[in-house]
Amino acid sequence: MWQALHSEIEDRGATVVTVALDVNPDDARHWVAEASPTHPSLVDTCHITDRLFGFTNVPMAVWIDESGTIVRPAELFTIEPSPLKGAEIPDDLPPLIHGALTEVQKFQGDPDAYRAAIEDWVDNGADSRFALDPDEVVARSGARPIDHSRAAAFFELGQRRWSNGDTDGAVPFWREAHRLHPENWTYKRQAWTFVTTPEGELPDLLQGPNDVYEGSWLEDLRAQGGGETYYSAPDLG
Amino acid sequence: MIVDTETVTGGISVAELARCTGWEARPEGLCRGPVCVPLPPEARPAPDTVDLTAVADRLGMALVPDPEAEVWALGPESGGQALTSATAPDLTLPDVEGNPFELASLHGRKVLLIAWASW
Repeated sequence: MWQALHSEIEDRGATVVTVALDVNPDDARHWVAEASPTHPSLVDTCHITDRLFGFTNVPMAVWIDESGTIVRPAELFTIEPSPLKGAEIPDDLPPLIHGALTEVQKFQGDPDAYRAAIEDWVDNGADSRFALDPDEVVARSGARPIDHSRAAAFFELGQRRWSNGDTDGAVPFWREAHRLHPENWTYKRQAWTFVTTPEGELPDLLQGPNDVYEGSWLEDLRAQGGGETYYSAPDLG
Repeated sequence: MIVDTETVTGGISVAELARCTGWEARPEGLCRGPVCVPLPPEARPAPDTVDLTAVADRLGMALVPDPEAEVWALGPESGGQALTSATAPDLTLPDVEGNPFELASLHGRKVLLIAWASW
């Protein structure tokens, strides 16, 4: 998907740069190899882009102009319709899967509108109505209280433990990161996946209840307002 | 940003602070882009060194220890917005082959920076 977008805009002066927020770079390599991207495809094992750009979930995008100025801060987006949107959900599915699909169908966002906005900016630059001025960029980037800074520090200490082979030792640090910044799904989904994915299998996307962390994807999503809130539409007005 | 206990107690080099946080220690204080925050003189024990705890205090950066590992993590600045300015911060990350890539190398082109994950 990102490669197709890059191919569409690269001759018009724009480049897609993807950043995989994966503590284990091998998890990202599998998908990158399948996509065979010609654009820069980076791996952020420390989630440093969370702190630098304000990423709190995936996929999120930041638009940066030719001078290195951010013209749209981190925002959730989609450029392709979900195949799950509008699909019938059988009643006899296991409750976890049924619940997850139900919430996914509530996700907001208009893929065509966002893709059109990207292309408008690529072609018109600062004259695009979707390119925001610096004050608006900063204002839309969201507040960062001290607890979010603490959460980033705890997450990084856990990442260091995990990368050094102390996977159990990472848990208390990541639990604290989750508590301090519950709206940051990158911290939670990363940690949940590690404990709910059977060894040797691809990452578990359902991230159900487990004995290690207090939350799970569906429980936390519902607690924070459901699919509409979890995946709200970017403000293109 | 991970630092050892000696850096927390003895100070961090000005160059290392700039490389890891983007904040430069100048005579007028700590500066990044158009934003400067005053720093008390005692926070500069030597011309090339700055007191990390003072930096953390002034910028609202959490400084969290891992006592067993004898390291600390410095969180990002806080107390304001997630972005302190619209100037894109310096970013160098490895690609999937492990080769470092500098975002600034794309100056002159528009960039769509996309976060994704395997999970």
